[in-house]
Amino acid sequence: MIDLTLHILRATLSSATPVMLAALGGMFTYYANIFNIAMEGMMLTGAFFAVYGSYFFGDWAIGTLFAVLSGLLMAALFAFFAIYLRCDEFITGIGINMLALGWTTYALRSTFNVKGALISAKIVPLPKWRVPILDLFEPIGSIISGHPFLLYLSFAIAVVLEIVIFNSRFGLHLRATGEDPEATKSAGINPIKIKLLATVLCGILSSLAGVYLSLGYVALFSENMSNGRGWISLAIIILVKGRPISILGLSLIFGLFESIGLILQHYKLAPQFAAMTPYIATLFVLYLYGKRKRKMEW
Amino acid sequence: MRVFRRVAISIISILTAFVVCAILIRTQKSSPIEVYRALYTYGLGSWAAFSSTLNTATPLIFTGISAAIAFASGVVNLGQHGQLLMGAVTTAILGVYLNIPSWLGIPVLAVVGGFAGALWAGIAAMLKRHYEMDEFISTLMLNFIGEYFTIYLATYPFLDRKAYVPATRLIKRVYFMPDFNGLNVAFFVAVFVLVLSFWYMKMTRQGYESRMMGYNVEFARVGGCAVESNSTFVLLFTGFLSGLAGALLILGGTQHRFMKGIGANFGWDGVMIAIIANNNVIETFFYGLFFGILKNGAIGMEFETSVPSEFILFLEAIIVLCVVGTRSAIEYYSQAIRSLTKLRKVVAEK
Repeated sequence: MIDLTLHILRATLSSATPVMLAALGGMFTYYANIFNIAMEGMMLTGAFFAVYGSYFFGDWAIGTLFAVLSGLLMAALFAFFAIYLRCDEFITGIGINMLALGWTTYALRSTFNVKGALISAKIVPLPKWRVPILDLFEPIGSIISGHPFLLYLSFAIAVVLEIVIFNSRFGLHLRATGEDPEATKSAGINPIKIKLLATVLCGILSSLAGVYLSLGYVALFSENMSNGRGWISLAIIILVKGRPISILGLSLIFGLFESIGLILQHYKLAPQFAAMTPYIATLFVLYLYGKRKRKMEW
Repeated sequence: MRVFRRVAISIISILTAFVVCAILIRTQKSSPIEVYRALYTYGLGSWAAFSSTLNTATPLIFTGISAAIAFASGVVNLGQHGQLLMGAVTTAILGVYLNIPSWLGIPVLAVVGGFAGALWAGIAAMLKRHYEMDEFISTLMLNFIGEYFTIYLATYPFLDRKAYVPATRLIKRVYFMPDFNGLNVAFFVAVFVLVLSFWYMKMTRQGYESRMMGYNVEFARVGGCAVESNSTFVLLFTGFLSGLAGALLILGGTQHRFMKGIGANFGWDGVMIAIIANNNVIETFFYGLFFGILKNGAIGMEFETSVPSEFILFLEAIIVLCVVGTRSAIEYYSQAIRSLTKLRKVVAEK
């Protein structure tokens, strides 16, 4: 029983990471008042290019670099359509997501000549880190230590961003742009520049989420690998109104649901029901939130 | 004039998309001309190809109209995928066990499938109405839940043990929808639904109210539209259309049974079609046909050239972005130029 609990908690951290990274990325665009739903697509291209780099160059670092570059490219595309061509942000987001799905599915077939999933020993996963001091305290050490390093980085990013958003010049400019771009313009800040920066940061963080999916969680790429995690991260952002530290908390809750689902699979629950849990959890959390809001209004 | 302008913009943007894709095909070391020729031959080249294109386009027209009506009413129903699957699985299961004559069975099964889709959308409608949950996230989540749920049904309780992949049993032969010279009756149902939807949106009071809600919800509310009940109705109706698409896919398609992956990408294709068509029901129909040509031609393209059929998914996304980008850029910048010249004139007069 204790083993099981430890296992669940360990898996919780791991499943929370990609959702959290994508949500942190979307947090920037949320504060800049861009209705960005392209995290799903950015994550998917990130996952693909991470595997691409890792497969052909035999190095996870090059994979990560490729993924980040692809995230930048997707962000640039989004910015080009939404900010310069003045397309509807929602529609652009759907277009970008479809583009990512189409491109990765096509490239998987044309580059690697496989359908469905690419599993290969040539894909080098992210290195795992042991946390030096925590290792000594047994139950905690076995939960926290030995994850891919990106996990520690993303938890650190969440905490740093909490400070950056609420206590720095950039954070202030970002939130001001979201509140009223005209007013920020009169204060000498270029709102287009801030929006561009927010989109780029979203691209980078979302593609890192993809890296974690394809090189950290497992070492493979499969069609439509992100499988709705981008949408869940969007739900998280809307629920917590963008606050980074709350994103961290809520992502952990989602991670918990996902890992419980995966564990239940070993106890005669059909795998399909296990796979459903994160989505049901999202609906459930939204329901609780709606109920509370309703009560407060009365 | 307005129609002419819209058609012109559509043609320009589709040409842009094809040029962009030609460059990409070139970088993949294939010949774009051969690819497009194969797309044409297998999508439109003969009556056999054309009728098969119309069959392919049928589910796209349904999901497209479903998305178009929803978006035009300001209801962001993105759950076409899940609703379609629920409709398909219901029809597929009932089609195995139901025992009534063919003339009654086919319409009953189709309508029941539609209602299954409406029910699935109804969950989102209920959550929206009673708990103010955004239908856009709840329908998305229901897509995933629906997908896994239908796969579960086809894998465990209703599994056909003789099939090679998880699938339900073949529906009774009497419920197969007839073909006319290769063109399935399902297509005519799609045309009927198009007329019905057009009538609903343009001729009825509720359709008018829905369109007003699409322009501005608050204004519609103040103007006396029953916003809550209208959006519930729109969700149910668009869910019904998607469910019907799934039901006809079973009754009139080629598989006649529910199997994993039968919903393909119809849900998102429908959303993309509605977006390109600017939520206009008639335009949605024609873009549905256009996507049908691409999808059907893709099979031939893979056959003739070295480009895999997955390329079409990518091409579709490029078309969406090009059409939307070109349209809004033309609108925005022509407006900007017009106001600038007007400003110059006013300044010059003073």
